[in-house]
Amino acid sequence: MTSTTNIARKAGNKSVRVGEDGSVWIEGYRCGACGAVMPVQTIACRSCAGRVAPEAYRSPETGTLYTWSVVHRSYPGVAVPFVSAIVDLDGGLSFKGTLKGVPFEALQAGMPVRLVFDDAGGAVDGDGHPYVGFHFVAGDAS
Amino acid sequence: MSDAYIVGAGMIPFGRYPDRTYFQLAADATLMALDDCGLSIKDVGVVYASSTFNAASMLGQKMLQQIGQTGVPVINVSNACASGATAVREAFVAIKSGLYDVVLAVGAEKNPRGMLAGSPVDGPPPEGLFGSVSMPALFAEAGMVHANAYGTTIEQFAQVAVKNHHHATMNPKAAYRKETPLEEVLASEMIAYPLTKLMCSANVDGAAALILVSEKKARELGLSRAVRLLGSALASDPFEPRNPDMLDPNSVTRLAVAQAYEMAGMGPEDMDLVELHDCFAVAEILHYENLGLCADGEGGAFIDSGATALGGRIPVNVSGGLLSKGHPIGATGVANMVEIIDQLRGEAGARQVDGAKIGMTHVLGFGTGSAAGVHIFEKA
Repeated sequence: MTSTTNIARKAGNKSVRVGEDGSVWIEGYRCGACGAVMPVQTIACRSCAGRVAPEAYRSPETGTLYTWSVVHRSYPGVAVPFVSAIVDLDGGLSFKGTLKGVPFEALQAGMPVRLVFDDAGGAVDGDGHPYVGFHFVAGDAS
Repeated sequence: MSDAYIVGAGMIPFGRYPDRTYFQLAADATLMALDDCGLSIKDVGVVYASSTFNAASMLGQKMLQQIGQTGVPVINVSNACASGATAVREAFVAIKSGLYDVVLAVGAEKNPRGMLAGSPVDGPPPEGLFGSVSMPALFAEAGMVHANAYGTTIEQFAQVAVKNHHHATMNPKAAYRKETPLEEVLASEMIAYPLTKLMCSANVDGAAALILVSEKKARELGLSRAVRLLGSALASDPFEPRNPDMLDPNSVTRLAVAQAYEMAGMGPEDMDLVELHDCFAVAEILHYENLGLCADGEGGAFIDSGATALGGRIPVNVSGGLLSKGHPIGATGVANMVEIIDQLRGEAGARQVDGAKIGMTHVLGFGTGSAAGVHIFEKA
């Protein structure tokens, strides 16, 4: 059986990847035939139905804000208010995530944002492995 | 192919039914629809039963156990908020196939309480960590796309709630029948900007049923109160790069309505009234444009013009809509058809749209994917 002597981190979201060396990145999939991008590995292309499975690529962590809502009522135990944002990452992936550190009145469609990995609010799985999550902050590349 | 006619329509008043089961509610609505056309459950050849949350528990069979186990085929349908329209669409197909002369489509739901969310995911609970999974947030984000592109204001979104709450005061079966002036809508609890609590649909129980028949059967029964189903379309989410991280209310609706208009040989200018899926106030503005009732970007000005209020050019959601009549999810798609049928028959009382001859219904379902149903009806 597997030994769990270390506390390997675990992806807290479908698009987060954790390497054996502990590095983390965002993975997307691109269809070689039509160029469509999708957030999960599919059997054929979602867009053109081409039978060659879309290929994994490492996504840039920079992008722009597409839309958002300032959430004031959430589920029990979740701190409000927070910004629920849809971000278009460079390279074609789009994600929902929490946008932090921007005053609500300063939010603007198209503003540059950056994905930052985090500890998913300290969440761990049933075996004690900590999750890797992400959120967004304002800012350009680098 | 035979045309499909609706001859019986029934809907129970929407609200909370703590002492009744969802299948008793379905039975209540079914008996109302049967009595409406003088038929018996023994005349029904096939049953399509819709419940978003209880289809897997054999809603249709449980209902027949209440009112008569005739042994006919039952198809239990779940398709998010489009479940009811899906059941009617299948009933339509059954008539069109020529296999059946009398078909029942029934939808019933006892909604879970509280704010509804999308489907569960692997990993830590995403709410707050990865934005919000709540339905209000999801539609708020879609509304903000419109606001950012066209300058639509929170006041314009809120006017949808003012209008539909006003309409509901004339509908004795609506869950909420109270005027809500603009200031009250804007001052109610902020849920997810720009949606306040009074801009979110009424989370209630309910049931509705329709009896569809072939042309031959309709003539036998007499056409005086019959309504012809001219167009029936159901669509699923086409590929969109942001979907499903951002479910898209627009593309799936546009796909369905284009098919319904084509089938009916009509366009938006032919509609006398529309019942559309106002699950949240922003959605009604988006769907004005999706259904072609106004041009893209003009939804805000369209609500301001009064065109969609009772007495306006194209009244929308005169029943009170999901916002105030209520949104018992699996029943919603059938219930909005009951409203159109009441209107085309001239039996809608204080909220009657004068001279209504043609009406359209629309529903939109979101889960891990999307579904939209559009139906067009004409007075026979």
